[in-house]
Amino acid sequence: MKRRTFLAGLAALPVAGPLAGCGLGGSTGSGSSASGQVTGEITFQTWSLKPKYTDYVNGVIDAFQKQHQGTSVKWVDQPADGYLAKVMADASAGSLPDVINVPPDLSFPLAKAGQLVDLDQNLKEAKPEYLENAWQAFEIPGKGGCYGFPWYLNTGPIFYNKALFTQAGLDPDKPPKTFKELEEQALKLAQSKKIAMLGQTPTIADFGLYGVKVFENDKFTFNDAKGVEFVESYKRMYDAGALIPEALTQNYTGAGAKFMAQQTALNPGSAYDLGKFKTDAPSLYANIGISTPITNTGSANMFLHGVSVPRSSKNQATALAFGRFVTNAENQVKFAKLASIFPSTSKGGDDPYFTTEDGTDEARVRVAAAKQLKTAVNYTPVQFSDQMREALLQQLADAMLGKKSAKQALDDAVAECNRLLK
Amino acid sequence: MTHRPYTPWLFLLPGLAVSFMFVIFPFLNMIVLSFTDASALGGGQFTGVDNFVRMAEDPKFWLAARNSLLYMVGVVPPLVLLPLLIAMLAQKIVPGIGIFRTAFFTPVIASAVVVGLIWTWLLDSRGLVNNVVEALGGTRIGFLTDSTLLLISSMVVTIWRGLGYYMVIYLAALANVPKDLHEAAMVDGAGPIRRFWSVTVPALRPTMVLVAALSAVNGFRVFSEIYLLSGGSGGPGGASTTMVMLIQLTGRGLTGEVGYASALSLVLFVILLGLLLITLKLNRREDQL
Repeated sequence: MKRRTFLAGLAALPVAGPLAGCGLGGSTGSGSSASGQVTGEITFQTWSLKPKYTDYVNGVIDAFQKQHQGTSVKWVDQPADGYLAKVMADASAGSLPDVINVPPDLSFPLAKAGQLVDLDQNLKEAKPEYLENAWQAFEIPGKGGCYGFPWYLNTGPIFYNKALFTQAGLDPDKPPKTFKELEEQALKLAQSKKIAMLGQTPTIADFGLYGVKVFENDKFTFNDAKGVEFVESYKRMYDAGALIPEALTQNYTGAGAKFMAQQTALNPGSAYDLGKFKTDAPSLYANIGISTPITNTGSANMFLHGVSVPRSSKNQATALAFGRFVTNAENQVKFAKLASIFPSTSKGGDDPYFTTEDGTDEARVRVAAAKQLKTAVNYTPVQFSDQMREALLQQLADAMLGKKSAKQALDDAVAECNRLLK
Repeated sequence: MTHRPYTPWLFLLPGLAVSFMFVIFPFLNMIVLSFTDASALGGGQFTGVDNFVRMAEDPKFWLAARNSLLYMVGVVPPLVLLPLLIAMLAQKIVPGIGIFRTAFFTPVIASAVVVGLIWTWLLDSRGLVNNVVEALGGTRIGFLTDSTLLLISSMVVTIWRGLGYYMVIYLAALANVPKDLHEAAMVDGAGPIRRFWSVTVPALRPTMVLVAALSAVNGFRVFSEIYLLSGGSGGPGGASTTMVMLIQLTGRGLTGEVGYASALSLVLFVILLGLLLITLKLNRREDQL
């Protein structure tokens, strides 16, 4: 009997583990009013900014406290690993910090569950201070309301390996600009030198860049004729060996590592990556080519972060004032100069730092990216969750392997995404 | 001396409180959640057996169950036999045996993530193994990009990681096998192989059942090996997803379907409990023979 209990216990422990902590409770308490006095203590949670930007964040906090006597901001920084889990645990316990750093895809489920303060309702006057496309990224499409102050933006150039291009007889100064050129050059690269061009199957943002209508009328729609045409192009590249085999399973990080190892010839990236190549892959850095993103729409893809104020905050007025302060033009420009990112405020981008080159590669990437951002679009719909990303990756793998036609794979991916939407 | 009936409970209280908080309550919560459509952000309506009906019709569930079963069948026999053979070698007192024992035990204490990364580098399409294969004139093998090979590669990692752990269990059991049994068998003219089958194996049978049960449970609920070798994707098209991976993929994140993931966890629990009961029953029946 003793042994049975012991073994049953053994089995129960790890099985119960994965879901421990997700309760039925969940609070969406409305906390304090947004129009109260700016005073008292609040907590500000950031996404992996320590220790590199400790001085910057402390400086912003000091300036805010000086401007608003009687306020005190407690800063907590969470590492990127497990950030989502921390937000999830706090959200289900109804104890989110007063000001949280979240990208749109994280603010969306929180806003949908009624956990975030609507800025359109409570701080409408702040709207003109930000770029319109950035403000829109924190809206719930079709339902209105904005649930986060846009913070920093980024858009990527594409990086390519000039040495591999040259070896395959491609012009190293003419990287692909459209998806048609991408396929042509990828096939040439694969046929002549057996070098793979890409390390990843298309992401949902790539569908947007290709010109596919990804999401319309509250439904995913990327299984239209254009979407099928896009996947078929990838299938031809996959069959020719223009995608590495790992492309079927890996995400952005995995693809980045393969590009650094010079196993692929082209990869989308950000200004931040250039510094990484310099230190971690000097032989790649010596041959690096930098170009504008591959797009059929004329617009680049944009990534952004923001700060949101939960409704459960006991000090909403101070939290909102601080959120607006952290993301104002002055603070954003200062931050952008430190961190290879770009301000989301309507004025920040005019700073000469983002408009003039000084001859270095970094400045060239920066100025080009700042220019792209003016027309950039966040092609990843905020509704696109982790589970949907996985579903798309899996269906695309089946299409690449020929287990399904491109149309069938996309139909299945869209059906799964729409089911998860509910 | 007066006997107060509550005294033992006072001593048990801290332990009970911890296990109630972190084991029993989450477990009960999981059972409740499995009958709801709860999301990660709380809430959820009671939906009866909907989650279980959905599971029965969900090809992903059947695929994951099949993969977990295959995994278990693949890892249990090697994990019952190989550590026993290694333990018999490691049991010998010869110079340098400490290095040998340490070498086999190191994978047990190594972090799963580190182990996963090392094996990924080895088995990658451009990894060490494939470079050797190509240098010998062969074509590159998709250890991590073919769903069947990915499962087999993960099994190899599980076996490699488990060898040292089960070796220690066998070493302890071997120390308890009476020496005179071996001596008597030798006197009767039994060779080493005969002694292995007729003395060592019968004496170690309860330990072998324990190792089989533990490795079966661990094999059925494999996660880290598959997760790390497939880059978190469950293989191309998710074709190598196992039960725990499916639970993780379903329930993770703010948008996770916690209700359905709980239902999957409950089914996994019942399967594992069933497996253990069968093993124990077999063991007891053999004891009585």
